[in-house]
Amino acid sequence: MKLKRYSWLPLLPFFLFTGYFLLWPILGVTLKSFHNNAGEWSLSNYTPLISGAYRHAFATSIRLSIITSVISSVLGAFFTLVIVKNAGSRLTSIIESIAAVFANSGGVPLAFMYIAAFGAEGMFTKILKFFGWNIYAGRFTLFSFTGVVLVYTFFMTPLMVIVFRPAILGLRKEWSEASLNLGANTLTYWRRVAIPILTPSFIGSFFLLFAGAFSAYATARALTVGTVPLVPIIIGTLVDGNVISDQANLGDALAVGMIVVAGVAMIGYIWAQRSAAKWRQS
Amino acid sequence: MKIGRYSLNAFTIFLAGTIFFLPLLAAAEFSFRKPGGKGHSFTNYSWLLQQEGFLPALGTSLRLAVLSGALNLILMVPTMVVLNLKAKRYKSIVDFICILPLIIPVVSLAIGAQVSMPEFLQNTEYELVFFFVIVALPYTYRALDSAISAVDIKVLVEASRSLGATWFATIIKVIIPAIRSGIIGSLFLSFALAIGEFTLTSLLHWDTFPTWTVVAAQQNILGAIAISVFSFALAIFALTLVGILAARKKNQNLVLENEEVE
Amino acid sequence: MAKQRASSTLKLENVTRSFGTTVALDGLNLTVQPGELVALLGPSGCGKTTALRIVAGLETADSGSLLVNDVRYNDTAVNDRDMGMVFQAYSLFPNMTVAENIDYGLRARKMDLPKRMKQVRKMLQLVDLEEKSTRYPHQLSGGQQQRVALARALAIEPTVLLLDEPLSALDAQVRSQIREEIRAIQLELGITTLFVTHDQEEAMAIADRVGVMNKGKLEQIDKPTVLYNEPATPFVASFVGQANRLPATITGKGNVKVLHQKISLSRHSTDLRDGLPVEALIRPESITLTTENDDEATQGLLVSKSFLGPLTKLGVALEGLPIIHINSQSKDVKSLEIGDRISFKIVADEIMAQNV
Ligand SMILES: Nc1ncnc2c1ncn2[C@@H]1O[C@H](COP(=O)(O)OP(=O)(O)OP(=O)(O)O)[C@@H](O)[C@H]1O
Ligand SMILES: [Mg+2]
Repeated sequence: MKLKRYSWLPLLPFFLFTGYFLLWPILGVTLKSFHNNAGEWSLSNYTPLISGAYRHAFATSIRLSIITSVISSVLGAFFTLVIVKNAGSRLTSIIESIAAVFANSGGVPLAFMYIAAFGAEGMFTKILKFFGWNIYAGRFTLFSFTGVVLVYTFFMTPLMVIVFRPAILGLRKEWSEASLNLGANTLTYWRRVAIPILTPSFIGSFFLLFAGAFSAYATARALTVGTVPLVPIIIGTLVDGNVISDQANLGDALAVGMIVVAGVAMIGYIWAQRSAAKWRQS
Repeated sequence: MKIGRYSLNAFTIFLAGTIFFLPLLAAAEFSFRKPGGKGHSFTNYSWLLQQEGFLPALGTSLRLAVLSGALNLILMVPTMVVLNLKAKRYKSIVDFICILPLIIPVVSLAIGAQVSMPEFLQNTEYELVFFFVIVALPYTYRALDSAISAVDIKVLVEASRSLGATWFATIIKVIIPAIRSGIIGSLFLSFALAIGEFTLTSLLHWDTFPTWTVVAAQQNILGAIAISVFSFALAIFALTLVGILAARKKNQNLVLENEEVE
Repeated sequence: MAKQRASSTLKLENVTRSFGTTVALDGLNLTVQPGELVALLGPSGCGKTTALRIVAGLETADSGSLLVNDVRYNDTAVNDRDMGMVFQAYSLFPNMTVAENIDYGLRARKMDLPKRMKQVRKMLQLVDLEEKSTRYPHQLSGGQQQRVALARALAIEPTVLLLDEPLSALDAQVRSQIREEIRAIQLELGITTLFVTHDQEEAMAIADRVGVMNKGKLEQIDKPTVLYNEPATPFVASFVGQANRLPATITGKGNVKVLHQKISLSRHSTDLRDGLPVEALIRPESITLTTENDDEATQGLLVSKSFLGPLTKLGVALEGLPIIHINSQSKDVKSLEIGDRISFKIVADEIMAQNV
């Protein structure tokens, strides 16, 4: 019994580490964002966020994140399903690794590779043109909003495969067999069993993707060089000192604003997890 | 049945291939184009090697990645083992903390680091190592956790202890081999992430391989594409190798078990 | 009380099935009469589950036919078969309450609501879980979950009920209780039932007839008592119940010499040639204690004694032989102590033997 009371002790390094390198910085920037140039408590850093360019940036970032997470979560869920159903263990582990590379270290290289593939001279563009689809017929460029959506989808879909796979693996074979045995067809099984069971994980994954897209910096930075106003890019230029602002702590306020938006996604994520608690084993 | 299965499999591979790999192949082709003119050559790749910053930036990245991988293991392997063995009730909180880096914007973390980290840490590029480990947490945690839950670690440890093994021997001889695939996976994920990390590095004003690439792109976009193709192919190759090795290990175990039964 | 439904005959004829190089079923023949409960018993991997899944349609036979009331069923779709199946565990839909689970098959049949509600209530009553109807599966004990699974399978009034080790995930006490409940319900409904298990006690207790399978084939199928007392093959003899395996020799004229006794060979032990060393299979209760001066007696050292209520199990050591197990009435062996020398002999009209 005595032992049990101290069972957290071996976890102390982990808690200290994440506390100091994750929570403490977040706390620090939050506090600083509420101080003005003179070091007094103030909301002045937040006033620019409510209107004008910064508000627009938040709106653009949020819109981009919603669109890409919708596309990626649906596409990714479909892929995961097919992978889990069909791929053997070796193929699966290869796919997992590739997905991890896309999702994780994609950032900069991915952006340049899509510049190469989808650029006006890119081979992919030419292939599409050969099949009768000139993507540059309209006003498309890779450096536009649509272009960013396209590239984001390429690293978010694999992320979906990674985060959604456990949920699909959790579907027991017995359920589909019992359903068939009881006289229901496959469609009914999906409608009444599989989809309800997967929905919480799907929504949870969606919010994770949203947060991922919202905070993505590398891809947009390498791709747009500021043509699409996204919050992380603006923070980046403030930090680099490329933009002179009379408010020293404006960047901090923007960073906290991002945390708030991400926090809303977090709440969505937790809500999705909880909503299943009624029937899910804890 | 079988035909349906395989054709569906083929269809997926085709679809994923078209969507994900054709662009990569297109990029690879692009990276071999001669600057300005027609035809293909290694010009862009040899240009890379002539750049002064290239090798030092690559060196920094590798150094940081090795350290991140090591720190990740030192921190996470004991934590995950203890968590599953002795402190199950803290699992949900650790779970929560490990998902946070996916949610908290890395940009915000970078700004926070500038605000909160002491001077001496901010003056060395090794501060990145700590944050790389943090940012990799969601992936490394998952890799270790799934490996640990796949074996009944509690039973293993009890068996080993009851046969008179010391804790040290139990960890070295029983636990680590049992979760080897998870350890390798987690190591490579943290390594790969550290090699490719851009956001923190750039906002904290350090020079590594990815930030150097972005700067180089302003001079020579073809060169930047060549770097990207090269590093991407390398990462996929390395991770795939790890994946196959881990899977093969598992298969061998299965075969052995079967033989013992018969 | 329950509606009497027309019971069906289930027949498997020469069914084979291989997975790669593994032959799971190797020409299985089996008939289950209307209203009968047949238990399939056999060692792990002998093909029990495969047989059941072929009946349910979850697996296809490579060859042979499956007949229900003499109608070929091989090509009927799974969800048209009207067969209720109870799985080993975890088959309840976790996102549905007990009542919704039971209702699932009825809803799939597009029955109207009042009828469905009535049927669900009836099933809840049948498995005695009326108070739990709004619970979710994870809020139930393992035994309750399996009762719900049974109710769900029975709700659709299946032609055949199939159970694949439905009790193996439960602990011993609950297991025997639910076993009896299943049997009572089966008898009440008079439903043709195939019950797969690897627990011989369970099979003996629940079934009208027990089929013993080995390597994808049916070795023997008969009433539990016949199976036990007159095993048709050595495999059945050693698999069903316990048996001492003692070295013996065939002495001709259908006799076998074992220990100091000569006993007639069971008519099922054919193809054994005279003079050959064989292995005799002798049940622990076919050995009794006797006095030293009995000419047929064998002496040995008592090395173990375990009290099992009315019976006591003795272990006797003889030089060069495995420990011989004897089941005696507890009251007869009260005074014996470990280390005693005891005399015993085989009391059986005929015994089984097999080649070594
Ligand atoms: N889907 C499958 N793929 C490959 N082999 C299989 C498959 N299903 C069963 N087998 C093999 O067929 C044989 C019979 O399996 P089956 O599940 O019918 O055995 P069982 O009698 O039910 O055993 P147990 O008592 O362990 O449940 C086994 O050797 C098994 O390995
Ligand atoms: Mg089985």
